[in-house]
Order: sequence, then C-alpha cells, then structure tokens
Amino acid sequence: MEETLAIFIASTLRLGMPLMLAASGELVSERAGVLNLSLEGMMLTAAFFGALGSWATGNPYLGVGCAVLASLCVAAVQAWLSVDLRANQLVVGIGFNILALGATTLLYRVIFGGLSREEIPGLPKLAVDGLSNLPFAGTAFFQQSVIVYFGLALMVLIWVILNHTSFGLAVRAVGDEPLSADKAGIPVARTRRLAVLVAGAMAGLAGAFISIADIHTFTENMTNGAGYLALAAVIFGGWNIGRTIAACLLFGAATALQFQLPAMGIVVPTAFLLMLPYLLALLAVAGVVGRLEPPTALTLPFRRGK
Amino acid sequence: MTTTTIMLSLPDRRRMVGVAVPFIAVAGSLAIGLLLVAASGKSVPEAIEAFLDGAFGTAYAIGASINRAVALALVGLGFILAFRANLTNVGGEGQIAVGGIVATAIGLWTPISDLPLGLAVVLPLLGGTLAGALWGGIAGVMKVRFGTNEVISTLLLGFIALLLVYWCVQSTTLLRQPQTSSATLPESLPIADAVKLPGLTGSPESPLHIGLVICLLLAGVTAVVLQRSTFGLRLRAIGLNELAARRAGMPGGILLVVALALAGAFGGLAGAIMLQGEQYYLKAGFSSGYGFDGLVVGLLSRGSTVGVLAGALFFGFLRSGGISMEIMAGVPAALTLVIQGLIVIAVAGSVILVERLERGGR
Repeated sequence: MEETLAIFIASTLRLGMPLMLAASGELVSERAGVLNLSLEGMMLTAAFFGALGSWATGNPYLGVGCAVLASLCVAAVQAWLSVDLRANQLVVGIGFNILALGATTLLYRVIFGGLSREEIPGLPKLAVDGLSNLPFAGTAFFQQSVIVYFGLALMVLIWVILNHTSFGLAVRAVGDEPLSADKAGIPVARTRRLAVLVAGAMAGLAGAFISIADIHTFTENMTNGAGYLALAAVIFGGWNIGRTIAACLLFGAATALQFQLPAMGIVVPTAFLLMLPYLLALLAVAGVVGRLEPPTALTLPFRRGK
Repeated sequence: MTTTTIMLSLPDRRRMVGVAVPFIAVAGSLAIGLLLVAASGKSVPEAIEAFLDGAFGTAYAIGASINRAVALALVGLGFILAFRANLTNVGGEGQIAVGGIVATAIGLWTPISDLPLGLAVVLPLLGGTLAGALWGGIAGVMKVRFGTNEVISTLLLGFIALLLVYWCVQSTTLLRQPQTSSATLPESLPIADAVKLPGLTGSPESPLHIGLVICLLLAGVTAVVLQRSTFGLRLRAIGLNELAARRAGMPGGILLVVALALAGAFGGLAGAIMLQGEQYYLKAGFSSGYGFDGLVVGLLSRGSTVGVLAGALFFGFLRSGGISMEIMAGVPAALTLVIQGLIVIAVAGSVILVERLERGGR
C-alpha cells in the first residue's frame, strides 16, 4: 500500500510537471494581460525541437536549449502580433496551434521518416545521494529528472518576481490598469512582450520535459492537450501562483489515477478522470469555487490615447 | 489622393480591402506550402497533380470534398451568427461531438428506422441540432449569469464533449458495440440504412448527400436573418455596444444566450450530418478538427454568408487534396495544417492594417 502511494505521488509529480512549468509561465503573461492560447503550440514546438536537438547533438542539455529557443521564437511572434499589431490573441493562438501541429508533424515525417520511434538521448534521473534511498519519500520525491528540480526552483523564482519585485508590480499593473500604468511611466508594451517571452521560455521547458526527460522520443501531437490543461489550471488557480500549481498537481493526480485505480481494482471510467480537469476548470470559471478575478485587461490590447 | 481613391466610393474600397486580405493570405500560404513541398525534396508538379486529382479528379473526390465543405460551412455559419453579437464561439469541435453522440444514440437506441416520411433521417438530425444548441447555450448562460468569457467556456466545453465521445465508445452500456472478443474496437455499431442521409445524385459513384441542400437553405436563411431581420439588427447592436442596446430596451441576456445556442445548433447539426452522411458510426476523435476548421472559415468570411460558403469549399477541397497528396505523392497531409495555420495568423495579424486602410488613412 505504502509502495503504491509512493509511486502514485511520483507519477503525479511527473504528470503534473509539464503543466506546472507551462502554467507558471503563462500566469506571468496573463497577469500582464496577454492570454496565450498558443501554449499548446509552443509546448509541441519545444517538444519537437528539443527531441531534434538532443538527437542531433547527442546531448540532452543542448536539446533542452533548442526546445526553449524554439518556443521563444513562437512566443516572440505571438508577442509581436498580440502586443504590437493588437491582433485577437485567441485567434492568433488557435492559428499557432494549428501551425505547430502541422509543422512538427511535417518536419518529423521528413527528418525522422515514416513513423520511427527512435529513442533520443534523454535527461538522467537525478538520484540525490542519501535521499533517493529513503523508504517512502525516496520513491515519491527523489527519483525525478534534473528538469523537475530546476523547474521547481524556477517556480519559486516566479513567485518571488511576481510578488516581491518592481518588475512583478509592473506586470500586474499593465494587466490590471494599463492606462494608469502608462501614465505612471511603466512601459506597457515592453512589459507585456517580456511577460509573453517568460511564458514562452517556461512552455519550452515543459515541452522539453515531455520529449527529452519523460518519453525520450517525439511522437506526433505528443503534448495532446497539455497546453490547454495548463491554461485551465491558471483559470482554476484563480491567477494565483500557489493555487495554479496546486491545480496542476490535482490535474496530474487525476491523470495518474487512471493508471493507479485499475491496479487497485477500482473501476472508474478513464474518460471521467480525463474529463475531471476540464470540468473543474469550467466550474471554476462559473464561479462555483468562489469568485475569481481575472486580470482586468486580460486579452485587451493596449493603445495609448484610447 | 490617387485617382483610384476618388473613383471608388468608401464602401467599395472597404469591401475591396476586406476581400483582398483573405485572398492574399490564402495565396501567400499556398505559395509557402509549395515551397515546403520543394524543400522536403518531393516533386512539386507531382504533388500538385495528386492534390488536384484528390480534390477534383473523380465524381467521388468532388462529392467527398463537398460533403466536407458542408460540415465546415455549417460550423462557419454558426460562428458568424454569434460573432455578429461579438461572441467568439471556439467550441465548434465539441458541438459537433455532442451532435454526433445524440444522432448516434437516437439511431441506435430508438426504433426509428421504421418511421415513415423520412423521420428516420430527420429525428437524429434534429436531436443532434438540439444537443449542439444546448452545448452552446450553456456557454451563453454562463456568460450572462456569471460573466464567464465565452471563449474560455466554449473551449472547455469542447474538451468535455470530446471526452464524452471517448466515454460513449468505451462503455458498452453507452454506445460501444457488444464486445465479442478482446479485438472488438471501441466504436459504436453502424447506424441502420434508413437513418443514413439519402444521396443527392442517385449515382453510387458520388457520395454527395442531401446535407448540401440543408446547408444551402440554412445559408440563405442566415443571410436574410443577419441582413434583414430585427433579430439580426439586435445581434449587431448588442455586439457593438451591449450597454447601449440594453438601455434601448433590448433583452441583452436572452439575445446572447440565443446567439451562442444558435452557433451550437449549427455545430450539432454538422455533427449529425457528418455521422449520418459519411461516417455512419461513432468513434473517438470523430469530429477530427472540423470544428476548428469551421471557425477558421467563419473568421475568414468576415461575417459574410457567401464568404463562409466559399471558404468552406476551399477548405473542403484543401483537405481532400491534402489526403490524396499524402497517399499519392508522399507529401504529409500535415502540410494542409501548416497552410491553414498561416492563413489564420496572417488574417488575424492584418486586422489593424485593414482597419487603417478602411478608414482611408495611410
């Protein structure tokens, strides 16, 4: 029983990780007023270029670098379109998701040929000396890949930046009151562009986690809606970093349960467990779990003098 | 000022810019697509030939492409109806899914195949339409009651609906066919012949079905409603300025719910037509991206019914041609996704430019 629980915690952490990475970055962008529906596309792009980089160089760390860089490129265009050209952020996001699915599938077929599932050099699991052998916590917490610990550190960093620095204050200001922020001399457009890039970098890590750290190969559409789940987590978390990460863990747990419950002899329809995150997010946006306050200027482009 | 600007009255110029942008976006994206074919080392003429053959080559190809266009046009029509009230319905995919589920359930669970007067065909279509309307209506009610952004709610409802399809075909108590062996696929039984949509040409070589007639009729109705009815005017009023429309005595909340329910109804009908006209049984992933493609069609049309029909035909043929290109010329059909994505991004990105040109500024 204890062993099962430890494995359950470990797989919750593993399945929740890409969500936590992507959602914490997206949170910064949404607090600044830009919603990236393209999160899914950024993650898929990153997963592909991460796998490609790792395969081509033989070095998984360079792969992670490629993933983040590729995702940043998508984010830069997204930022230009939604901040400078004031395009409809949602429509642009959908466009990017279609494009990313098409482009990665196309490139994958052309470069790797057919449907090969060649294994790529993956990130090692970091077995922390002395901790990974602990009877319960060892299995549950300390046999994860490097990216997990790095990602957790980044989340703490995001929390600090968002709540305790002047840049964090600027982010929240341009997301809630862009007009006043502008009058107070905060560069609205630049702050928003930076916030989108933060989302891009974190989505890049999330994509790299999926292909390089977790699955060790690329498959077509391998993110399979994880980006949308991350968006749902931000909503369910009420645009608060702690609650967003808790939401990601909850969604990860729901996914982990579909493997765990049958092993324990409990029959719950898989579809229901998969649906749970979206249902919870839907209840959350309906205000069932308490009043949610999205950033006031979320998805609204800003233009001086208007 | 140049001579052209003097010769053309403002509305003409406006229309020209509005039509030109999607055309430029489409042409540019197609050109990039061809470059990608060349870059991937495949023969461009061969790819084009395979594309044209798959899209227009045979009576079967043309019929299948038009059937695809019908589903896309319906979703697109629903999209522009709601968009008139400034509502963006992103849930087409889910609305297709619930439409398909209900049409299948009515077809398989109820003894309708013996009914006279074509009711065996009509009842599942109506059921699917109502299911879609309900699915869209939920988003409408959430918007009015809780102020929930319809983009978020329709998107989430979409995922829930896709998983409902998965659930239905996984469970034998729902719609999965009886499991006779471990190899039984997670699909529903096929619907009875009486429930299938009748063909339009009478020839067994063309899959073209009466969905086309339904679609054209509804396109006509939509055009009239949008342009000449009080309802259409009210949708526009509420879309332009909700507060002012409410002050003018319009039932704002009800209008918003009806607009989203109508959009959903079109999606649900598309789902029922896809099921009864083409696929005949329910399986996971049955909506296969038609909801998102339909949204793109609605978006490119800039609110015009004729635009929706033209866009739907374009994407219907694009899909058919893309599939044939993969089979015959070895160019992955994912290329059509690249082209679509580029078109959406280009059109969305050029909105500001278009507005500036329309206002006549430089």
